[in-house]
Amino acid sequence: MKGLFKSKPRTPVDVVRQTRENLVHLDLNSGSRGGDAKREEKMAELGKNIRELKSILYGNGESEPVTEACVQLTQEFFRENTLRLLIIHLPKLNLETRKDATQVVANLQRQQVSSKIVASEYLESNKDLLDILISGYENMDIALHYGAMLRECIRHQSIARYVLESEHMKKFFDYIQLPNFDIASDASATFKELLTRHKATVAEFLTNNYDWFFEEFNTRLLSSTNYITKRQAIKLLGDMLLDRSNAAVMVRYVSSKDNLMILMNLLRDSSKNIQIEAFHVFKLFAANKNKPAEVVNILVTNRSKLLRFFAGFKIDKEDEQFEADKEQVIKEISAL
Amino acid sequence: MLQLLALLRPPSAMAGDPGGEVKYPLDAESYRLLCKIGSGVSAVVYKAVCLPLGSSAVVAIKAIDLERSRANLDDVWREAKAMALLSHRNVLRAHCSFTVGSHLWVVMPFMGAGSLHSILSHGFPDGLPEPCVAVVLKDTLRALCYLHEQGRIHRDIKAGNILVDSDGSVKLADFGVSASIYEIGPAASSGPIHAPPPAALGSSCFNDLAGTPYWMAPEVIHSHVGYGIKADIWSFGITALELAHGRPPLSHLPPSKSMLMRITSRVRLEDAEATTSTSAKRKKFSKAFKDMVSSCLCQEPAKRPSAEKLLRHPFFRGCRSNDYLVRNVLAAVPSIEERCKDANLCGCARGARCVSPCRHAAGSVVKNRRISGWNFNEENLEFDPAEAGAAEKRCGLPFHEEEDDDPADLESNSAGDGNEDSRATATMTRGSHDEKAAATGFKEVVVPQLMTILASLEMQRGMVMHVLENGSCHVADGINGCGGMAASNPGEEMLLGYVRQLEHRVEELGTEVEEEVARNARLEKQLQERVSAHKTDSSSQTSGSN
Repeated sequence: MKGLFKSKPRTPVDVVRQTRENLVHLDLNSGSRGGDAKREEKMAELGKNIRELKSILYGNGESEPVTEACVQLTQEFFRENTLRLLIIHLPKLNLETRKDATQVVANLQRQQVSSKIVASEYLESNKDLLDILISGYENMDIALHYGAMLRECIRHQSIARYVLESEHMKKFFDYIQLPNFDIASDASATFKELLTRHKATVAEFLTNNYDWFFEEFNTRLLSSTNYITKRQAIKLLGDMLLDRSNAAVMVRYVSSKDNLMILMNLLRDSSKNIQIEAFHVFKLFAANKNKPAEVVNILVTNRSKLLRFFAGFKIDKEDEQFEADKEQVIKEISAL
Repeated sequence: MLQLLALLRPPSAMAGDPGGEVKYPLDAESYRLLCKIGSGVSAVVYKAVCLPLGSSAVVAIKAIDLERSRANLDDVWREAKAMALLSHRNVLRAHCSFTVGSHLWVVMPFMGAGSLHSILSHGFPDGLPEPCVAVVLKDTLRALCYLHEQGRIHRDIKAGNILVDSDGSVKLADFGVSASIYEIGPAASSGPIHAPPPAALGSSCFNDLAGTPYWMAPEVIHSHVGYGIKADIWSFGITALELAHGRPPLSHLPPSKSMLMRITSRVRLEDAEATTSTSAKRKKFSKAFKDMVSSCLCQEPAKRPSAEKLLRHPFFRGCRSNDYLVRNVLAAVPSIEERCKDANLCGCARGARCVSPCRHAAGSVVKNRRISGWNFNEENLEFDPAEAGAAEKRCGLPFHEEEDDDPADLESNSAGDGNEDSRATATMTRGSHDEKAAATGFKEVVVPQLMTILASLEMQRGMVMHVLENGSCHVADGINGCGGMAASNPGEEMLLGYVRQLEHRVEELGTEVEEEVARNARLEKQLQERVSAHKTDSSSQTSGSN
């Protein structure tokens, strides 16, 4: 460690090794608390090393990152368990070092070594790290850091699949409704990413988990009393159902009278934003060519009310698509 | 490493403070709102007490109406997150944020003395003494250093976003995209520029428009690839002038005129230069100050110093302490509560300068990026905004002959003036009356110029779209390739942001052109009516005296 502050330039590999040594030290001494000077010195050293990693990966003010240096760094980083140590000990780092570490981990997810994404391979054999990252939403000190890392990790399709198929998916329904706006929104962003990024994987997940997933989605999110929860959920529902790859799921969703009732209630929400998002889902019910009798029944029963509602349903901005959709919905309902 | 132990504390249902000692509850019932200390289009700022922490735990709460705010929730979240992760003594950090119905409550430290903008307008209309300017600027620079080191660009440096606590400590507020969401300065913008009363100007986009363009760097508009941290340095230079003079350069003009001045500033400012020596009331500033400011206002971003380098500028040597601010500035202004009492009335003053009522409802939230054609160089540094006015006067623009069109005057005098619109019209009519010929000339000048801007913006948009289209092909490849790894590169997001901004500007300018034309027609009509009335009047008077 003596060479650390000497003028001899360290290679990217050196920096990774020293970072790992710092982390190992922290790991071994994690039992001993107290502000002993040695420990603080080590922490400062670690902070410097992580910042150095960041500047190699992102470049600094003067220079762009060098591909070769990034490759060396990435190889060395994933050769051993540096990522694991970094994730586990993140809560012990100070705010600035945590932010640097988060950016380093994010960047590493995109680094390729001989056209392979090393991070993805590493995570596939260390899936428990994702469990740790997800549980971060239960600790508000690290939630935003773990959350940001997690969203980078689920860019890998195999990792997203792991999370989707894990028990963690159920926990997101709680995380989304945490009182702290920053954290709840972060969880929402991750949830949305999971359910929209990898089309085929998402379609498969929704098909296999249709019953419990939409039950939770309807009762806990769409019927929530929390404005933000409702607004984000209805937007996400629209994004999911309107995606071509989820066509089968959409058909199933719009064939249910219970779903229709929830959507019709959202059309009457006091929030204009929620009304508009709800309309984008409601129109699918109306446009469905094979409406089940129970759906037709509800639409017919409420026909005059619905038509009256749509007559006065306007959005501030001119939107041809919206107007066309509305016309279509009115036509469909009138024709029933 | 001092935070280390604090960071080890167990999780809880309360939001943490950077220091770790104080935790702020996440429900509305735990706070008692004391009074409104600022308001904007979609947000209101309150002074409040956090009840569980005792009656001395005063905070500022910014309540953002998420229904009215046009910004989407993702932007609001990104901003809240950024704010939660910044930690610097000169940067305002939110204690916590949570939703109350369709409002987002952002709980922040209460900055007892308000914003520098408010301080200027309530006690220093002609600017702060130079040593005080130095104290404020030094702390602002420290904040900028930190932000830039974090790779964040503030993008809205101005006196209205620099807050002072009652102990003289200075904090920079409102970060990055925050300008589009937190469109008024927290606990601070009780000053007239940023506080139109929602009732009168609820759908106006003018407060933001007026508050921000003056500080804007030329490349903010001109560059198509985004702009760097050096744009902040420009705004910092303008803010230095604002603090020294009590207002930013050219701010005595209403926004639309200021914009015009900036388009044509090359000629006008040189005109002004010729008359500089005749200016009687000219503030004296040290050479170090002038040198510091002009280095910030260098046209070429690369030549502007970094925040870190600026901190080492001789101007900041021997800078006084924050106590000095308390004794020399805070002692001279009324408390923020007192200032707020007439805040709403002050706000009306903006109405007078609103060229015509703005009709875009929610559009107001989007930050306006204005044309910026400053022609600053070391020689004709615009230290005294009034000179530009002189230039304008000489050029025969009719609407600003009257002294009371000066914003500072408007703001301070307007307390009892309920109907600003009529007053403004009166002023304008008088102006037109005096220079009837010029009025027509003015219209001829304004409309083509606005048309030119419009065309230029359309062109810029075209270019951005072009770049984007190329970019999106690339992105599509990325998705097919490796699970969409390349899908959201930041450059693309930035460009998209640009396109939106530009589109919005084009839209606005279009409306403005229309409004300008309509108003000119109206004024001409009024003028004719007045002239004919005047004739009848004088003829009847003549006959009467006979």
